[in-house]
Amino acid sequence: MFGYLGIDVGSVSTNIVLIDEDEKVCDSLYIRTQGQPIKAVQKGLEYIRGRISDEIVIGGVGTTGSGRHLASIIVGADSVKNEITSHAVAASNLVPGVQTVLEIGGQDSKIIILRNGVVADFAMNTVCAAGTGSFLDQQAARLNIPIEEFGDIALKAGNPVRIAGRCSVFAESDMIHKQQMGHNLPDILAGLCDALVRNYLNNIGKGKEILEPVIFQGGVAANIGIKKAFEKTLGVEVIIPEHYDVMGAVGAAILARDAVRKTGTTSFKGFGVAEEMFEATSFECKDCPNLCEVIQIKAGGQIMARWNDKCGKWSNAIGEKKKIS
Amino acid sequence: MTVKVGIPRALLFYYYFPMWNGFFKALGVEVILSRNTTKGILDKGVRQSVDDACLPVKLFFGHVLDLKDRVDYLFIPRMVSVERKEYICPKFLGLPDMIRHNVPDLPPIIDITVNMSRREKNLYKAFAEAGKLFTANPLAVRKAFRAGLEEQERFHRLNHLGYLPHETIEQMSRGLVNQNYSPAQTGDMTIALVGHGYNIYDSYISMDLIEKLRNMGVRIVTPDNLTGTIIEEKSDELPKKMFWTLGKRMIGSAFHYMRSDRIDGIIHVASFGCGPDSFTGEIIERHLRRRRNIPFLNLTIDEHTGEAGIITRLEAYVDMIRWRRAAL
Repeated sequence: MFGYLGIDVGSVSTNIVLIDEDEKVCDSLYIRTQGQPIKAVQKGLEYIRGRISDEIVIGGVGTTGSGRHLASIIVGADSVKNEITSHAVAASNLVPGVQTVLEIGGQDSKIIILRNGVVADFAMNTVCAAGTGSFLDQQAARLNIPIEEFGDIALKAGNPVRIAGRCSVFAESDMIHKQQMGHNLPDILAGLCDALVRNYLNNIGKGKEILEPVIFQGGVAANIGIKKAFEKTLGVEVIIPEHYDVMGAVGAAILARDAVRKTGTTSFKGFGVAEEMFEATSFECKDCPNLCEVIQIKAGGQIMARWNDKCGKWSNAIGEKKKIS
Repeated sequence: MTVKVGIPRALLFYYYFPMWNGFFKALGVEVILSRNTTKGILDKGVRQSVDDACLPVKLFFGHVLDLKDRVDYLFIPRMVSVERKEYICPKFLGLPDMIRHNVPDLPPIIDITVNMSRREKNLYKAFAEAGKLFTANPLAVRKAFRAGLEEQERFHRLNHLGYLPHETIEQMSRGLVNQNYSPAQTGDMTIALVGHGYNIYDSYISMDLIEKLRNMGVRIVTPDNLTGTIIEEKSDELPKKMFWTLGKRMIGSAFHYMRSDRIDGIIHVASFGCGPDSFTGEIIERHLRRRRNIPFLNLTIDEHTGEAGIITRLEAYVDMIRWRRAAL
């Protein structure tokens, strides 16, 4: 039986899922990226290899997320797709008929509007990362509460305080101020949830027609406080899908399956890459005043990929080598 | 030795360079352009400029720094207004002063004031003032002015054929000014890129937006491909006259393109911190939703050079258009 891997390398977490031919999720992993995307991918593959049943043969791999190109080099991906498309694919496959997808991840948040199973519109946060997972993480750490308990504590609030949600810097000083005034923790956390949702809807949801069914996915969907705040503000039921935290990876796996169906072969390098030594370095190219910061990935002393050069001098040099060999 | 006048390759360069170039050339003045934007130029500009300016203005500083030591004059016109009862952004209005007071060791600045809000004839007056620096013969100035206008008309004609201004400027510099066929663009969809010329045609600060889209199989049209009449007619649909000329161009062109069957989507490009951009995007999006259901994307550009964010949005946007089409 064939299985398909989806790898979503995000800023905060790296998620890997294994689906079967019928898009059923057989296994899923949620690992913190901690700034080391290569290690995270390798660690994830190691786990999956240990847990996979012998009958399953990997038929294809897809990557997504901000680290998708890096991950695709390491595993040999069949499809490399942006996270908006991946999330939409996963949502429309796992929750048929869905019309609105709210997604809040580590450093970005997006809204996807689907009509008749097709993306009709989307928006993503622009230059500001206020109100995303990393901010909640930071605040939880500052208040010394585990992020897992954040939502439950917020639910105990009797009278949520109002916190400025426009900018995370202001939100933080507002929160400190409210604490010093003597408001209790649940009220402050619930206020933060409300502020975050308000900011999200003003910023990203602006002008969008939010129709039911509405699903909420991404790492932040684990926070029940935010879910409740969404329901309160929108006045509709918000569904959290079973695999809410790995939806991007599910979408990547589905896209990989579709890609492999077309080409008939996979370029997956096998689980052996988990042990391989990858070395990522960067250098500043000084050949012109652009001073591009070129990134290169080496494995076993050999350069596998280079990118981030504007003129393509470094990245193309690799491509040519590939063609010859 | 001929006199050298430097023109920074930024801001209104993308709108009026042919006029300026034609004028100075006819006066026997050598025109020197700053080099294409690089990280070095932008970094220098950001360091030298006032910190609450928008990115394109900061970039202008960089181009001035790139030029100032190799020219005899810098041409930084004070562009107040180019059309009746309309204005250019106040930052352009104060540009010569901003440069003069923030950049040390400058060559003399030619800062003629172009203000056509009351009288269109003021344009000639402004250029006549600049011409006096190089010749005492009023007839020669008059001729040079006409030469400039002719160049500008050629520029517009080529743009209306479908060339983008930076391509037209490149072509005109190679002497190809008389072709009358549209450029060949390949792709399976057409997207209208609505933004200020100095944001979308500078491949460094736009993160090569145009080429990225073309590589994804997209044909590009911009406000500059439309005639002034169309822009005027369509922007008149607003209940109140839009008196920022550059913003009006964006609104008028978006209103035109959102009606055209040939257009599959509209991308609005704004620079972070631009007042007019923040509401032109909003107006365009609202009208678009009322009229026709074509996808809209708002891109904000600023100093960040991480391309991942832009690529993600563009890819998803183009994917979405293809999906929607396949589902029809």
